[in-house]
Amino acid sequence: MGMLKRTTGLVGMAVAPNAHHTLGALYGKILRVLQKMPENAAYRKYTEQIVRERAAVLKQTRDVYEIETKINCGQAEELIIQAENELNLARKMLNWKPWEPLMAKPPKGQWDWPPTKA
Amino acid sequence: MSFLFKRTVGSGYTLGRSILSNVKSPAVQRVATLADQAAPQTETRPTVAKFDPLQKAHLVDFGKYLAECMPKYVQKVQLTAGNELEVLIPPEGVIPVLQFLKDHHSAQFTNLVDIAGMDVPNRPNRFEIIYNLLSLRYNARIRVKTYTDELSPVDSANDVFKAANWYEREIWDMYGVFFANHPDLRRILTDYGFEGHPFRKDFPLSGYVEVRYDDEQKRVVVEPLELAQEFRRFELSAPWEQFPNFRSNPASEEVVNPGDEKSKQ
Repeated sequence: MGMLKRTTGLVGMAVAPNAHHTLGALYGKILRVLQKMPENAAYRKYTEQIVRERAAVLKQTRDVYEIETKINCGQAEELIIQAENELNLARKMLNWKPWEPLMAKPPKGQWDWPPTKA
Repeated sequence: MSFLFKRTVGSGYTLGRSILSNVKSPAVQRVATLADQAAPQTETRPTVAKFDPLQKAHLVDFGKYLAECMPKYVQKVQLTAGNELEVLIPPEGVIPVLQFLKDHHSAQFTNLVDIAGMDVPNRPNRFEIIYNLLSLRYNARIRVKTYTDELSPVDSANDVFKAANWYEREIWDMYGVFFANHPDLRRILTDYGFEGHPFRKDFPLSGYVEVRYDDEQKRVVVEPLELAQEFRRFELSAPWEQFPNFRSNPASEEVVNPGDEKSKQ
Protein backbone atom coordinates (compact mmCIF):
# COMPACT_ATOMS: atom_id res chain seq x y z
CA MET A 1 0.00 0.00 0.00
CA GLY A 2 1.23 3.46 -0.85
CA MET A 3 0.82 6.77 0.90
CA LEU A 4 -2.48 7.38 2.63
CA LYS A 5 -4.69 9.83 0.76
CA ARG A 6 -5.76 12.75 2.94
CA THR A 7 -7.93 14.84 0.64
CA THR A 8 -9.27 14.91 -2.88
CA GLY A 9 -8.84 18.66 -3.06
CA LEU A 10 -12.38 18.92 -4.43
CA VAL A 11 -15.11 20.58 -2.41
CA GLY A 12 -17.74 18.17 -1.16
CA MET A 13 -15.89 15.06 -2.24
CA ALA A 14 -14.63 12.96 0.65
CA VAL A 15 -11.80 10.50 0.31
CA ALA A 16 -13.18 7.05 -0.41
CA PRO A 17 -12.05 4.74 2.42
CA ASN A 18 -11.63 1.66 0.25
CA ALA A 19 -11.62 2.86 -3.34
CA HIS A 20 -10.07 -0.26 -4.80
CA HIS A 21 -12.76 -2.53 -3.39
CA THR A 22 -15.62 -0.16 -4.29
CA LEU A 23 -14.42 0.23 -7.85
CA GLY A 24 -13.95 -3.51 -8.28
CA ALA A 25 -17.48 -4.18 -7.04
CA LEU A 26 -18.97 -1.52 -9.31
CA TYR A 27 -17.15 -2.74 -12.40
CA GLY A 28 -18.31 -6.28 -11.64
CA LYS A 29 -21.91 -5.08 -11.39
CA ILE A 30 -21.68 -3.15 -14.66
CA LEU A 31 -20.29 -6.17 -16.49
CA ARG A 32 -23.08 -8.34 -15.10
CA VAL A 33 -25.74 -5.91 -16.30
CA LEU A 34 -24.10 -5.73 -19.71
CA GLN A 35 -24.30 -9.52 -19.98
CA LYS A 36 -28.07 -9.18 -20.34
CA MET A 37 -27.78 -7.10 -23.50
CA PRO A 38 -27.54 -8.66 -26.96
CA GLU A 39 -24.02 -9.59 -28.08
CA ASN A 40 -23.88 -7.24 -31.05
CA ALA A 41 -25.14 -4.12 -29.27
CA ALA A 42 -22.56 -1.37 -29.80
CA TYR A 43 -23.22 0.06 -26.37
CA ARG A 44 -22.43 -3.26 -24.72
CA LYS A 45 -19.33 -3.75 -26.84
CA TYR A 46 -17.78 -0.37 -26.09
CA THR A 47 -18.76 -0.23 -22.44
CA GLU A 48 -17.39 -3.69 -21.81
CA GLN A 49 -14.17 -2.61 -23.44
CA ILE A 50 -13.85 0.47 -21.24
CA VAL A 51 -14.80 -1.31 -18.03
CA ARG A 52 -12.55 -4.30 -18.73
CA GLU A 53 -9.62 -1.93 -19.31
CA ARG A 54 -10.24 -0.27 -15.98
CA ALA A 55 -10.81 -3.53 -14.16
CA ALA A 56 -7.50 -4.81 -15.56
CA VAL A 57 -5.73 -1.82 -14.01
CA LEU A 58 -7.37 -2.67 -10.69
CA LYS A 59 -5.98 -6.17 -10.90
CA GLN A 60 -2.44 -4.92 -11.54
CA THR A 61 -2.16 -2.78 -8.46
CA ARG A 62 -3.86 -1.92 -5.18
CA ASP A 63 -2.26 1.50 -4.85
CA VAL A 64 -4.82 4.28 -5.29
CA TYR A 65 -2.38 6.76 -6.83
CA GLU A 66 -1.16 4.22 -9.32
CA ILE A 67 -4.75 3.37 -10.29
CA GLU A 68 -5.47 7.03 -10.87
CA THR A 69 -2.45 7.60 -13.10
CA LYS A 70 -3.02 4.43 -15.08
CA ILE A 71 -6.71 4.96 -15.74
CA ASN A 72 -6.08 8.69 -16.20
CA CYS A 73 -9.68 9.86 -15.89
CA GLY A 74 -9.63 11.77 -12.62
CA GLN A 75 -9.24 10.73 -9.00
CA ALA A 76 -10.42 7.44 -7.56
CA GLU A 77 -13.46 9.15 -6.04
CA GLU A 78 -14.39 10.55 -9.45
CA LEU A 79 -13.86 7.13 -10.98
CA ILE A 80 -16.35 5.76 -8.46
CA ILE A 81 -18.91 8.36 -9.48
CA GLN A 82 -18.34 7.59 -13.14
CA ALA A 83 -18.80 3.89 -12.49
CA GLU A 84 -21.99 4.52 -10.50
CA ASN A 85 -23.33 6.60 -13.36
CA GLU A 86 -22.47 3.96 -15.90
CA LEU A 87 -24.15 1.27 -13.80
CA ASN A 88 -27.25 3.41 -13.49
CA LEU A 89 -27.22 4.03 -17.24
CA ALA A 90 -26.68 0.39 -18.14
CA ARG A 91 -29.69 -0.65 -16.05
CA LYS A 92 -31.86 1.93 -17.79
CA MET A 93 -30.52 0.89 -21.17
CA LEU A 94 -32.00 -2.57 -20.62
CA ASN A 95 -35.45 -0.98 -20.73
CA TRP A 96 -34.76 1.49 -23.51
CA LYS A 97 -33.08 -1.02 -25.84
CA PRO A 98 -31.26 1.64 -27.91
CA TRP A 99 -29.66 -1.00 -30.15
CA GLU A 100 -32.93 -1.46 -32.03
CA PRO A 101 -33.32 0.19 -35.46
CA LEU A 102 -34.37 3.83 -35.79
CA MET A 103 -37.77 4.30 -34.16
CA ALA A 104 -39.06 7.35 -36.06
CA LYS A 105 -37.86 9.00 -39.23
CA PRO A 106 -37.85 12.78 -39.19
CA PRO A 107 -40.80 14.42 -41.00
CA LYS A 108 -39.83 15.69 -44.42
CA GLY A 109 -37.97 18.98 -44.30
CA GLN A 110 -37.70 18.91 -40.50
CA TRP A 111 -33.93 19.34 -40.35
CA ASP A 112 -33.49 21.49 -43.46
CA TRP A 113 -31.82 24.80 -42.88
CA PRO A 114 -32.51 27.45 -44.00
CA PRO A 115 -36.19 26.44 -44.10
CA THR A 116 -37.85 26.54 -47.49
CA LYS A 117 -40.24 29.38 -48.11
CA ALA A 118 -43.84 28.71 -47.21
CA MET B 1 -5.43 8.21 -22.03
CA SER B 2 -9.15 8.26 -21.99
CA PHE B 3 -11.20 6.16 -24.27
CA LEU B 4 -12.58 9.03 -26.31
CA PHE B 5 -9.15 10.27 -27.20
CA LYS B 6 -7.75 6.85 -27.90
CA ARG B 7 -10.53 6.27 -30.37
CA THR B 8 -9.91 9.54 -32.07
CA VAL B 9 -6.20 9.00 -32.55
CA GLY B 10 -7.06 6.36 -35.09
CA SER B 11 -9.07 8.83 -37.09
CA GLY B 12 -6.07 10.94 -37.93
CA TYR B 13 -6.55 10.22 -41.58
CA THR B 14 -9.40 12.71 -41.67
CA LEU B 15 -6.93 15.51 -41.07
CA GLY B 16 -5.61 15.48 -44.61
CA ARG B 17 -9.07 15.95 -46.04
CA SER B 18 -10.12 18.85 -43.88
CA ILE B 19 -10.77 22.12 -45.58
CA LEU B 20 -8.97 25.31 -44.70
CA SER B 21 -10.95 28.36 -45.64
CA ASN B 22 -9.31 30.68 -43.18
CA VAL B 23 -6.66 32.14 -45.40
CA LYS B 24 -8.35 33.09 -48.62
CA SER B 25 -11.82 34.38 -49.28
CA PRO B 26 -14.54 31.88 -48.22
CA ALA B 27 -15.62 31.35 -51.79
CA VAL B 28 -12.32 29.69 -52.62
CA GLN B 29 -11.99 26.54 -50.59
CA ARG B 30 -8.93 24.43 -50.94
CA VAL B 31 -8.02 21.08 -49.57
CA ALA B 32 -5.06 21.11 -47.24
CA THR B 33 -2.22 18.82 -48.17
CA LEU B 34 0.89 17.80 -46.28
CA ALA B 35 2.91 20.42 -48.10
CA ASP B 36 0.47 23.11 -47.00
CA GLN B 37 0.79 22.22 -43.35
CA ALA B 38 4.56 22.22 -43.50
CA ALA B 39 4.84 25.66 -45.09
CA PRO B 40 4.90 28.47 -42.52
CA GLN B 41 1.80 30.61 -42.91
CA THR B 42 1.79 34.28 -42.07
CA GLU B 43 -0.92 35.20 -39.60
CA THR B 44 -3.31 37.54 -41.35
CA ARG B 45 -6.30 37.44 -38.97
CA PRO B 46 -5.00 37.03 -35.42
CA THR B 47 -8.34 37.76 -33.79
CA VAL B 48 -10.31 35.10 -35.68
CA ALA B 49 -10.70 31.77 -33.92
CA LYS B 50 -8.33 29.15 -35.28
CA PHE B 51 -9.70 26.11 -36.99
CA ASP B 52 -8.60 23.02 -35.09
CA PRO B 53 -8.63 19.89 -37.28
CA LEU B 54 -7.83 17.63 -34.32
CA GLN B 55 -10.80 18.87 -32.32
CA LYS B 56 -13.00 18.44 -35.37
CA ALA B 57 -11.76 14.88 -35.84
CA HIS B 58 -12.63 14.16 -32.21
CA LEU B 59 -16.13 15.53 -32.67
CA VAL B 60 -16.76 13.64 -35.90
CA ASP B 61 -15.57 10.48 -34.26
CA PHE B 62 -17.71 10.98 -31.19
CA GLY B 63 -20.72 11.68 -33.40
CA LYS B 64 -20.23 8.36 -35.15
CA TYR B 65 -19.75 6.63 -31.82
CA LEU B 66 -22.99 8.05 -30.47
CA ALA B 67 -24.94 7.09 -33.58
CA GLU B 68 -23.55 3.58 -33.37
CA CYS B 69 -24.41 3.20 -29.68
CA MET B 70 -27.98 4.51 -29.98
CA PRO B 71 -29.22 3.73 -33.50
CA LYS B 72 -32.79 3.66 -32.20
CA TYR B 73 -32.82 7.36 -31.42
CA VAL B 74 -30.26 9.19 -33.54
CA GLN B 75 -31.79 10.49 -36.75
CA LYS B 76 -28.83 12.48 -37.90
CA VAL B 77 -25.50 13.81 -36.66
CA GLN B 78 -24.09 16.94 -38.18
CA LEU B 79 -21.39 19.56 -37.71
CA THR B 80 -22.29 23.21 -37.96
CA ALA B 81 -20.02 26.23 -38.03
CA GLY B 82 -17.06 23.91 -38.53
CA ASN B 83 -16.76 22.56 -35.01
CA GLU B 84 -20.18 22.33 -33.36
CA LEU B 85 -21.53 18.81 -33.09
CA GLU B 86 -25.30 18.43 -33.34
CA VAL B 87 -27.36 15.32 -32.71
CA LEU B 88 -30.86 15.31 -34.14
CA ILE B 89 -33.31 12.99 -32.39
CA PRO B 90 -37.05 12.33 -32.26
CA PRO B 91 -38.84 13.66 -29.13
CA GLU B 92 -39.16 10.13 -27.70
CA GLY B 93 -35.37 9.87 -27.45
CA VAL B 94 -34.74 12.92 -25.29
CA ILE B 95 -34.34 11.12 -21.97
CA PRO B 96 -32.25 8.16 -23.23
CA VAL B 97 -29.89 10.28 -25.30
CA LEU B 98 -29.37 12.89 -22.59
CA GLN B 99 -28.87 10.19 -19.99
CA PHE B 100 -26.35 8.44 -22.21
CA LEU B 101 -24.44 11.66 -22.84
CA LYS B 102 -24.40 12.41 -19.13
CA ASP B 103 -23.51 9.03 -17.69
CA HIS B 104 -21.46 7.19 -20.27
CA HIS B 105 -17.75 6.90 -19.48
CA SER B 106 -16.53 8.33 -22.74
CA ALA B 107 -19.09 11.13 -22.93
CA GLN B 108 -19.61 12.65 -19.45
CA PHE B 109 -21.54 15.70 -20.62
CA THR B 110 -22.52 16.44 -17.04
CA ASN B 111 -23.43 20.10 -17.47
CA LEU B 112 -26.63 21.26 -19.09
CA VAL B 113 -25.66 24.72 -20.27
CA ASP B 114 -28.96 25.79 -21.76
CA ILE B 115 -32.18 24.67 -23.36
CA ALA B 116 -33.33 26.79 -26.25
CA GLY B 117 -36.42 26.79 -28.39
CA MET B 118 -37.02 27.67 -32.01
CA ASP B 119 -40.20 28.30 -33.96
CA VAL B 120 -40.44 27.61 -37.69
CA PRO B 121 -44.17 27.87 -38.48
CA ASN B 122 -44.10 26.23 -41.90
CA ARG B 123 -42.80 22.91 -40.63
CA PRO B 124 -45.19 20.14 -39.60
CA ASN B 125 -43.49 20.08 -36.19
CA ARG B 126 -42.99 23.77 -35.79
CA PHE B 127 -40.92 23.86 -32.59
CA GLU B 128 -37.35 22.74 -32.11
CA ILE B 129 -36.03 22.14 -28.61
CA ILE B 130 -32.27 22.48 -28.39
CA TYR B 131 -30.19 21.17 -25.49
CA ASN B 132 -26.63 22.48 -25.13
CA LEU B 133 -24.37 20.21 -23.09
CA LEU B 134 -20.83 20.64 -21.81
CA SER B 135 -18.35 17.97 -20.81
CA LEU B 136 -15.75 19.34 -18.44
CA ARG B 137 -13.89 16.05 -18.42
CA TYR B 138 -13.20 16.09 -22.17
CA ASN B 139 -13.56 19.84 -22.74
CA ALA B 140 -16.23 19.27 -25.35
CA ARG B 141 -19.66 20.58 -26.17
CA ILE B 142 -22.56 18.93 -27.92
CA ARG B 143 -25.99 20.07 -29.02
CA VAL B 144 -29.04 17.82 -29.00
CA LYS B 145 -32.01 18.90 -31.09
CA THR B 146 -35.51 17.52 -31.13
CA TYR B 147 -38.84 18.67 -32.47
CA THR B 148 -42.48 18.92 -31.44
CA ASP B 149 -45.69 20.75 -32.30
CA GLU B 150 -48.13 22.79 -30.20
CA LEU B 151 -49.97 19.80 -28.77
CA SER B 152 -47.61 16.88 -28.35
CA PRO B 153 -45.64 16.96 -25.10
CA VAL B 154 -41.90 16.36 -24.85
CA ASP B 155 -40.50 14.32 -21.95
CA SER B 156 -39.02 16.59 -19.31
CA ALA B 157 -35.26 16.31 -18.89
CA ASN B 158 -35.62 17.22 -15.24
CA ASP B 159 -34.95 13.62 -14.15
CA VAL B 160 -31.59 13.70 -15.91
CA PHE B 161 -30.47 17.27 -15.32
CA LYS B 162 -31.88 19.25 -12.41
CA ALA B 163 -30.88 22.38 -14.31
CA ALA B 164 -33.59 21.63 -16.85
CA ASN B 165 -36.32 22.68 -14.43
CA TRP B 166 -36.26 26.42 -15.06
CA TYR B 167 -35.13 26.15 -18.66
CA GLU B 168 -38.16 24.05 -19.46
CA ARG B 169 -40.43 26.48 -17.68
CA GLU B 170 -38.90 29.17 -19.84
CA ILE B 171 -39.59 27.21 -23.03
CA TRP B 172 -43.13 26.55 -21.83
CA ASP B 173 -43.62 30.24 -21.14
CA MET B 174 -42.11 31.52 -24.37
CA TYR B 175 -43.24 28.88 -26.86
CA GLY B 176 -46.00 26.91 -25.17
CA VAL B 177 -44.29 23.56 -25.55
CA PHE B 178 -45.64 21.18 -22.92
CA PHE B 179 -43.14 19.08 -20.96
CA ALA B 180 -44.51 15.82 -19.62
CA ASN B 181 -43.56 14.84 -16.05
CA HIS B 182 -42.17 18.25 -15.23
CA PRO B 183 -42.53 18.81 -11.46
CA ASP B 184 -43.50 22.47 -11.61
CA LEU B 185 -44.46 23.69 -15.07
CA ARG B 186 -45.47 27.33 -14.61
CA ARG B 187 -44.87 30.67 -16.31
CA ILE B 188 -41.44 32.04 -15.42
CA LEU B 189 -40.66 35.20 -17.40
CA THR B 190 -43.97 36.81 -18.28
CA ASP B 191 -46.14 38.87 -15.94
CA TYR B 192 -48.95 37.62 -13.72
CA GLY B 193 -52.04 36.85 -15.75
CA PHE B 194 -50.17 37.03 -19.06
CA GLU B 195 -51.78 35.18 -21.91
CA GLY B 196 -50.07 33.74 -24.96
CA HIS B 197 -46.52 32.68 -25.74
CA PRO B 198 -44.47 35.66 -26.87
CA PHE B 199 -41.69 33.88 -28.79
CA ARG B 200 -44.10 32.27 -31.22
CA LYS B 201 -43.78 33.75 -34.67
CA ASP B 202 -47.53 34.44 -34.79
CA PHE B 203 -47.44 36.51 -31.60
CA PRO B 204 -47.67 40.21 -32.57
CA LEU B 205 -44.63 42.33 -31.76
CA SER B 206 -46.77 44.86 -29.92
CA GLY B 207 -48.49 42.23 -27.77
CA TYR B 208 -52.21 42.19 -26.95
CA VAL B 209 -52.41 44.43 -23.87
CA GLU B 210 -50.76 47.60 -22.63
CA VAL B 211 -50.03 48.65 -19.07
CA ARG B 212 -50.20 52.26 -17.89
CA TYR B 213 -50.69 54.26 -14.71
CA ASP B 214 -54.18 55.68 -14.42
CA ASP B 215 -54.27 59.01 -12.64
CA GLU B 216 -57.97 58.89 -11.77
CA GLN B 217 -57.97 55.39 -10.35
CA LYS B 218 -54.51 55.95 -8.80
CA ARG B 219 -53.25 52.56 -9.91
CA VAL B 220 -51.71 50.67 -12.80
CA VAL B 221 -54.29 49.42 -15.28
CA VAL B 222 -54.00 46.78 -17.98
CA GLU B 223 -55.99 47.52 -21.12
CA PRO B 224 -56.37 45.94 -24.52
CA LEU B 225 -53.86 47.43 -26.92
CA GLU B 226 -55.02 50.41 -28.97
CA LEU B 227 -52.87 51.26 -31.96
CA ALA B 228 -53.17 54.57 -33.77
CA GLN B 229 -53.06 52.67 -37.03
CA GLU B 230 -55.25 49.69 -37.89
CA PHE B 231 -53.50 46.33 -37.68
CA ARG B 232 -51.73 45.61 -40.92
CA ARG B 233 -50.09 42.54 -42.28
CA PHE B 234 -46.70 43.74 -43.37
CA GLU B 235 -45.09 41.94 -46.26
CA LEU B 236 -41.73 41.06 -44.77
CA SER B 237 -40.33 38.74 -47.42
CA ALA B 238 -37.81 40.36 -49.69
CA PRO B 239 -37.80 39.83 -53.46
CA TRP B 240 -34.15 38.73 -53.43
CA GLU B 241 -32.70 35.52 -52.12
CA GLN B 242 -32.24 35.52 -48.34
CA PHE B 243 -29.42 33.06 -47.83
CA PRO B 244 -27.37 32.98 -51.03
CA ASN B 245 -24.34 31.69 -49.13
CA PHE B 246 -26.18 28.51 -48.20
CA ARG B 247 -27.10 27.63 -51.80
CA SER B 248 -23.77 26.07 -52.75
CA ASN B 249 -22.36 25.24 -49.30
CA PRO B 250 -24.97 24.06 -46.81
CA ALA B 251 -25.00 25.37 -43.24
CA SER B 252 -24.09 22.01 -41.78
CA GLU B 253 -22.07 19.02 -42.88
CA GLU B 254 -23.40 15.58 -42.23
CA VAL B 255 -21.54 13.13 -40.07
CA VAL B 256 -24.06 10.30 -39.85
CA ASN B 257 -27.50 10.07 -41.40
CA PRO B 258 -29.01 6.65 -40.68
CA GLY B 259 -32.45 7.68 -41.92
CA ASP B 260 -31.18 8.33 -45.43
CA GLU B 261 -29.02 5.21 -45.63
CA LYS B 262 -32.11 3.11 -45.04
CA SER B 263 -34.07 4.76 -47.83
CA LYS B 264 -31.24 4.23 -50.32
CA GLN B 265 -31.06 0.50 -49.66
